[in-house]
Amino acid sequence: MAAAALCWALRAARQVLPSSCLRQVRSYYVDWRMLRDVKRRKMAYEFADERLRINAIRKNSILPKELQEVADKEIAALPRDSCPVRIRNRCVLTSRPRGVKRRWRLSRIVFRHFADHAQMSGVQRAMW
Amino acid sequence: KDKSAASKDSAPQGAAKRQEDGAETPKQQLLDIIGSMKVEVSYRKKLQQLKASESKKQAMNKLEGPDSEGSVPLGIIEDTQRGKPLNPELVKAASAVASSLPHNKKQIESELLAQLRRHEETTDKQKKGGTINIRNVISEMTVKRQSPAQWGARISSLISLQLDEDGRRIRPERSSAQSMDSRRSLKVGKRLNIFTKASTEPERALKTVSSPTIWDLEFAKEVAAVTAQPPRNGFEEMIQWTKEGILWEFPIDNEAGMEDDAEFHEHIFLEKHLEGFPKEGPIRHFMELVICGLSKNPYLSVKQKVEHIEWFQKYFEEKKELLEEI
Repeated sequence: MAAAALCWALRAARQVLPSSCLRQVRSYYVDWRMLRDVKRRKMAYEFADERLRINAIRKNSILPKELQEVADKEIAALPRDSCPVRIRNRCVLTSRPRGVKRRWRLSRIVFRHFADHAQMSGVQRAMW
Repeated sequence: KDKSAASKDSAPQGAAKRQEDGAETPKQQLLDIIGSMKVEVSYRKKLQQLKASESKKQAMNKLEGPDSEGSVPLGIIEDTQRGKPLNPELVKAASAVASSLPHNKKQIESELLAQLRRHEETTDKQKKGGTINIRNVISEMTVKRQSPAQWGARISSLISLQLDEDGRRIRPERSSAQSMDSRRSLKVGKRLNIFTKASTEPERALKTVSSPTIWDLEFAKEVAAVTAQPPRNGFEEMIQWTKEGILWEFPIDNEAGMEDDAEFHEHIFLEKHLEGFPKEGPIRHFMELVICGLSKNPYLSVKQKVEHIEWFQKYFEEKKELLEEI
């Protein structure tokens, strides 16, 4: 199972436009779900300001309620992918939705793999 | 002009040669040579070229060491003429040459005299230097006999422009190895001074281009892509990353990329932006709270804060009819 998870053979047909640099560029996302997650993140970034402001109108007790209702409708009319709640912190390498440590953005299996091969700086097996 | 100058070159050269033998007067020799001057065409031109290059070089390197060697005729003239004023005999010879030639005589004569003067200058400079003989020049040049192994190695290295593992070309090693291999190394021996220093040409005026064309941009991109060799070591990799913006610049300054030139009072006292709002009522109350929050926000720039307030203004403008119903 670890081998299957670590096998990067799953490649979606998403190609990022290659730039002129000579480094290895990741041309594919691991799978379509990861791609959709990426799209959601981009949209959330674009609409972040608007959502903040409309929510500021909605979530206070000073302004009249009619205004707040109108604001409710407005925010509901925004595209669904623009809300940050739909973002899932997937593993960056395997796109695993669960068991992802936030600091490294890696799933537990990948993390263990790299840590055992001494490729994680400052990470050591616990022993006490 | 070449012909006349060359003839004058050969004339003093002939004179000096004969003087070394110690036989005839210079004038007779000159006249003899003028008579026979049509024979030596190619040799003259070579001498002329040598002399021209030599005069240029002399102009450049005035402080030449004792091993300086010049072209052929100058050194030989050294024996005959000393002192600044032109030898009257030479002047006579020049006039004779000029008269013997079919083209404009006065021009040729003046040119010959000018060349003579130049010769005088160069010979004065060359007094320190030893005698210059083409024999010396040729003696230094020997026919290299290489073993077939060396030939093979040289040809193979010429054909294949190999790259080291580091990406560097093999050439620098090759040249140094060659200089060590050859019996006569490159650095030893008298300087021949055949080549002149390349004078830096004045930069030509830039062509006025209104805007770089697409082809220019493409060419520039191509050149950049070709010259951008992959990094040879970690340092170069880090340099490349810093240029691309992936790696931060060290020592890290916390305000990198942040160009907020505004003073603190522009961040805090935002009431002047509230002029578009009604002075009383819940909206004003709401906006004052917004401003209070913005003034405490260190993460936004003044521009962003102003945009925030303007968004609200626009929003409330749109909802004006609704608000008036209430």
